[in-house]
Amino acid sequence: MAWYIIRRILQAVPVVLGATLLIYALVFLRPGDPIVALFGDKPVSEAVRAQIEAQYNFDKPFLVQWLLFLKGALTLDLGLSFSGQPVIDLIARAFPVTIKLAFMALVIESVLGIAAGFYAGIKRGKLFDSTMLVVSLLVIAVPIFVFGFLMQLVFGVKLAWAPVTVGGDASFTRLLIPAFVLGLVSFAYVLRLTRTSMIENLTADHVRTARAKGLTDGQVNRRHVLRNSLIPVVTYLGADLGTLMAGAIVTEGIFNVPGVGNLAWRAIQQGETPTIVSVVTVMVLIYVVMSLLVDLLYAWLDPRIRYA
Amino acid sequence: MRTRRTALAGIALAAVASLTLAACSSGGDDEGSESTDAVITAYATEPQNPLVTTNTNEVGGGNIIDLLYAGLISYKADGSQENEVAESIESEDSKVWTVKLKDWKFSDGTPVTAESFVKAWSFGADPDNKQLQSYFYYPIEGTDDEGSTLKGADTISGLKVVDDKTFTITLKQPESDFPLRLGYSAYYPLPESAYGDINKFGEKPVGNGPYVLEKWDHNVEAVMTPNAEYDGVRKAKNGGVTFKFYTDPDSAFSDVQGGNLDVLDQVPPSALTTFRDDDSVQDFESPGSVNSTITIPESLDHFAGEEGNLRRQAISRAIDRKTITEKIFDGTRSPSTDFSAPVMPGYTEDIPGNEVLEFDADAAKKLWDDANAIAPWSGKFQVAYNGDGPGNKEWVEAVVNQLNNNLPGINAAPKAFPTFDELRTKVTDRSIGTAFRTGWQPDYPSIYNYLGPIFGTGAGSNDGDYSNKEFDGLLKKASGALDDEERYQAFVDAQAILFKELPAIPLWNTNVSGAAGKDVENVVFNWQNRPEYQDITKK
Repeated sequence: MAWYIIRRILQAVPVVLGATLLIYALVFLRPGDPIVALFGDKPVSEAVRAQIEAQYNFDKPFLVQWLLFLKGALTLDLGLSFSGQPVIDLIARAFPVTIKLAFMALVIESVLGIAAGFYAGIKRGKLFDSTMLVVSLLVIAVPIFVFGFLMQLVFGVKLAWAPVTVGGDASFTRLLIPAFVLGLVSFAYVLRLTRTSMIENLTADHVRTARAKGLTDGQVNRRHVLRNSLIPVVTYLGADLGTLMAGAIVTEGIFNVPGVGNLAWRAIQQGETPTIVSVVTVMVLIYVVMSLLVDLLYAWLDPRIRYA
Repeated sequence: MRTRRTALAGIALAAVASLTLAACSSGGDDEGSESTDAVITAYATEPQNPLVTTNTNEVGGGNIIDLLYAGLISYKADGSQENEVAESIESEDSKVWTVKLKDWKFSDGTPVTAESFVKAWSFGADPDNKQLQSYFYYPIEGTDDEGSTLKGADTISGLKVVDDKTFTITLKQPESDFPLRLGYSAYYPLPESAYGDINKFGEKPVGNGPYVLEKWDHNVEAVMTPNAEYDGVRKAKNGGVTFKFYTDPDSAFSDVQGGNLDVLDQVPPSALTTFRDDDSVQDFESPGSVNSTITIPESLDHFAGEEGNLRRQAISRAIDRKTITEKIFDGTRSPSTDFSAPVMPGYTEDIPGNEVLEFDADAAKKLWDDANAIAPWSGKFQVAYNGDGPGNKEWVEAVVNQLNNNLPGINAAPKAFPTFDELRTKVTDRSIGTAFRTGWQPDYPSIYNYLGPIFGTGAGSNDGDYSNKEFDGLLKKASGALDDEERYQAFVDAQAILFKELPAIPLWNTNVSGAAGKDVENVVFNWQNRPEYQDITKK
């Protein structure tokens, strides 16, 4: 087990290196000139331009820029943003908010999705099942920002039950509606996965055996059907946390949440290489850690899976 | 193990349920603040640079800087000027200006002296300090065309401290309305404490203006409270101003509707058709100072000399500005009648030749045919624009359609660039090879600012490389004019030349379209299209 974890962490090193190199290349290839953007429609003095290029290493070859970034990253010095703050500070402020938002979304989507999927699977073909299928289809088909603006308008502006936007105070109650919106699409997938998986397992041999033992329906469904049905769902949820953090760009924009999505959006607009690459690097790390956690969870859910 | 899992799910469910209930009960929000002590919240964007007067060149930081500092003069809402820190700004020849200061203090208690100004400007102009506002010092002796101090010097040689309360400014050439520039943020003073670590200072700047910065919570908000030391013309009438930072003006508009935000100075495109009739907000509309133009460089094929003038006039007359401003911009733009804007002092509709801004398909076709008689048209006419600016794609396509309809054979087409800086890079290095969209936001309230920097020979923002000696002469005359009437007449004569040659084709001016909460009073938009934040109060 320990050896397995070490191996997985070692595997993550080239993944992170490759990802930063790729992002660096993309930002480097981005057309236009961030320094021109800094000056707006005013002429840029050559002397000033040279100074700024030197500060952000824009004057160096691409690979040197990347290596300098890596060197800094190892010592947790991710450079400065255009507004003169250490990028590490920006990240330290933004990530907790987004992680909170993403976990809330994850909890909401998994609890609601598994519960609804469980019930729909048992009552296959009945009214609840059909309703859930239509609802999930709708949620998957309609773009997320439509739900975002709709919920903001209804619950925030019209009913005034919830704050319209989150702003500085990213407390649990204020993040609730954004988290719900963020988790909505995944909720539909979790529901469908759980349902299909449940239906499959309901006719499995070990379930028949359990029934033959004389266990009640409820016991069978919970202990034997649901538990086995959760394996694909857990895989999905683990990978989804990364997606939720990246998908937060839209939700964070609508609800003005000062998280990673907003930070990345601003940085991309301004061509602020150190910030973009740092944010993406942290996201890659989260992906790697999450997929490791998911793999370890399998063993707990399904004793047939063993790691060596 | 099994029970634990079920229990966990149960706890999570219960938690979600209780959160939902909590969200319901905490609704309604913290209303009920009254009187003049109310803090005003306003839409803004996170400053892109440290909050340093010489380094803040965009609106997000500019909003804050303008409330934290007081310059030698300040602008009233209509663009007229009044002295602020300056006791007097005088000159006999419009070239050497003597500035006398009032007694004034920074919010940390240190006095504002002649040195506070001279040192700050020299700091801003020194390329080693890489300040983004250096361009603004270019009129002063001792700087180059981009406003940087000359090689080897770390101070601007045209600035001389006479005593604690007096300094002189020597210009490269006489400029009678030079003091008008001095209300701009690049000309604010800085306290001595700024120079140690300028980035650190930019985190928590110390100013001499109507407000002091309590807190800059990055990407969230900037909280400002009135400055008790301040005794100038822009005294705070409210209990403070908090700029809330947004990445999406749509969510700011929702916040105004929901009563979470008091003032929004830029209604998002999605709400433009509805915000006038929206019962949950107050709507504001007034003419603005930002203009939009299409620049057609003389270097393009068929656009030089007399042929070029005819073609540019034809294109200008083939554009139906009124229809575009109504259909595409929902009336939030007004068709241009000159090269500046209606809010500028000295603005007039009576400029000889400005009928080329009126739509007339027949006249356009005739002008185009006249040009074809000189040399037959060939090739394409492309209009380059940046796709990241809202509405750009729509209006460029509309203009191109109108040109194709009204000028047969012109073969007009839009040319998209993904981002503003990409377009500007091509424009600046002169490799663009097409007509392109341009626009101007004035730095100080004078028509000169719409003419000199854009159309003067060799000027910094002269993207089309326009050059006309007569025009340059009139600009010089305007600069040397001793009274307003003479100066305004020179602007009229100079624009009459531009209307003949149309180095840029004026399209429209952006109107102010703002929104405010129901309980907000005294919202006035100034010549910069920004609210006068210090005057806003709550009922």
